[in-house]
Amino acid sequence: MLRIALAQTAPGLGALDANLARHRDLLEEARAGGAGLVVFPELGLTGYQLQDLAAEVAMRLDDPRLAALAAATRGLSACVSFVEESGDHRLFIAAALLEDGEIRHVHRKVFLPTYGLFDERRFFAAGDVVRAVPSRLGVGVGIAICEDFWHLQTPQLLALDGAQLLLNVSSSPGRDLAARNDVGLGTATSWRTLMRTYAQLTTSFVVFVNRVGVDESVTFWGGSEVVAPSGEPLFSAPLFDEGLYLVDVNLEDVRRERIALPLLRDERLELQARELGRIIAERAGLASDSTAEPGAEPGLDVAPMAPLPSPSRRPKVPRRPMIPPPLRAPGEDGVAARAPEEPIRLRSHRR
Amino acid sequence: MSAARPLPVDDAGRPLFELPDELAIDTDVARRVIAGFIRGQLGQAGFERCVLGLSGGIDSGLVAYLVSESIGADRLLCILMPYRTSSPASRSDAEAIVAELGCPSELVEITAMVDGYFGRDGQAGAGGEAVADATPVRRGNFMARTRMAVLYDRSVAFRGLVVGTGNKTESLIGYTTLFGDNACAFNPIGDLYKSQVRQLAAAMGVPNQVIAKAPSADLWPDQTDEAEGSFSYPLLDRILYWRIDRRRSTDELVEMGFERPLVERVERLVATSEFKRQVPPVAKLGPRTAGVDYLYPRRRPGSTHS
Repeated sequence: MLRIALAQTAPGLGALDANLARHRDLLEEARAGGAGLVVFPELGLTGYQLQDLAAEVAMRLDDPRLAALAAATRGLSACVSFVEESGDHRLFIAAALLEDGEIRHVHRKVFLPTYGLFDERRFFAAGDVVRAVPSRLGVGVGIAICEDFWHLQTPQLLALDGAQLLLNVSSSPGRDLAARNDVGLGTATSWRTLMRTYAQLTTSFVVFVNRVGVDESVTFWGGSEVVAPSGEPLFSAPLFDEGLYLVDVNLEDVRRERIALPLLRDERLELQARELGRIIAERAGLASDSTAEPGAEPGLDVAPMAPLPSPSRRPKVPRRPMIPPPLRAPGEDGVAARAPEEPIRLRSHRR
Repeated sequence: MSAARPLPVDDAGRPLFELPDELAIDTDVARRVIAGFIRGQLGQAGFERCVLGLSGGIDSGLVAYLVSESIGADRLLCILMPYRTSSPASRSDAEAIVAELGCPSELVEITAMVDGYFGRDGQAGAGGEAVADATPVRRGNFMARTRMAVLYDRSVAFRGLVVGTGNKTESLIGYTTLFGDNACAFNPIGDLYKSQVRQLAAAMGVPNQVIAKAPSADLWPDQTDEAEGSFSYPLLDRILYWRIDRRRSTDELVEMGFERPLVERVERLVATSEFKRQVPPVAKLGPRTAGVDYLYPRRRPGSTHS
């Protein structure tokens, strides 16, 4: 049995010292409540909408303030998130696994949303590593940060690398307020769908901790969750309420689920790696795509259509049946078959 | 799906307003987000009180309810600023809202200020003969900016932040006075279309007569938004929602059944009012320029007012 504490906090924007103190308080509260793992939200130590403040609140991994926070985790595991400055002065959105007084692992956010209301790539460098790590809890832990889980590969890689407990720490701004949505908020509906799906497909526990509070225009919606390896939500924290929520999980459920539903056993990594290798080469124009329609862009099977005034007036084009490519001799795959004078059309109306 | 609340009805049992399906919001979530937003804005800025101009219309009325719910009515100062041609019904509706909420209020007649500039009864004002025949639009803008000046002055004495009361519809079509009614420290309803303002106002108990009456800037007698713009709010809201929030093209809107001339007119209004929704550009000269490559949150440690 593991008691997980979800620290659904409202960090002060740029208020590193105050947030550090709050983290220490909550670690003690969680310890007193019998928790073995405490999870804080994305950038819980700094606040989210930092912009140029990011450089001013950044910490190196040898920062004494971080060491002091780690020291507060004797007999505990904790996931905390902050701005990490690397030796070559890149700034990362980072989440660290602190255990027994040490920094055991640091995940640097890989996918930095820079669209819509997000502008992360302007201020931060992207991480390059997705890795599960062993923990004192007796299970592998995989840490991801917010947008990392909007890419299928992240939970999959973490589970395949040995994680049985997937942690996603987030600063998700609530938006798309509409009566048709589950809990009135489109963002919440999407996240809940993702978390349940990932837990089921990776047959792992998923712990989602999202912050609350307000930075500038945006309100973070909370709604932190723990989802069992069966995809069943075990706990959903209230929307918008700050709090430390304790949830008991039975880690044996991972074994039970994986024996009953051996999805990970049946994954075909070599097939995936081979097909990914092919797609990468085709998208780079380094190999021909034997299943593509003539005129398709590199790596895309479907040829662009002529622009039409409206979608409903587009004629239905019968799709050619897909025929598997003939086997080719080694070395036959080579540089693109497209003749250099053939124009590349860049519009695809079906994307 | 959240439980649908029936729309309020008038004495004859007819709905007080039309709410297009796609614009319906979960009003409980909206109240929750907005209440936290108001407290968050005040907290970040180091303020505890709010000031707003209460016209007697639905927008400022709803904001008064939202602020009262968020921080308590005793910390909201409503200022009524009628001009001599303002509708008496506006004032009595504003007074009804103040009485209902129990918030402090002040009455500041802006007639002397406005007439002092434009002149009155053949007497030239501070603006001289040149402004004596100013158009209603110029006079209306001047009134809106006079009210802004009053609000900002009173906000210092009350130690409060000026709360914006403009909605998303009027902002998108530019039906606002720059540095007038759109001037504020923050705006809790600026991302709600008029139809959604009505839905939320009904859920919060804003008096029915305020919800039901024709929206008006009340800058001249018998002015109404819908007559001045010759549109209906539910229709305009739907066009804006599909065009902007849901990124549908003009052609797609026409296919959905909207009239092309109206869609194109709305698009022109949106495009020509872009400047009203943005901070004025500063000529880029130095290494680091506010709003361009000097980008900080509005408030950070050490920046709070105290």
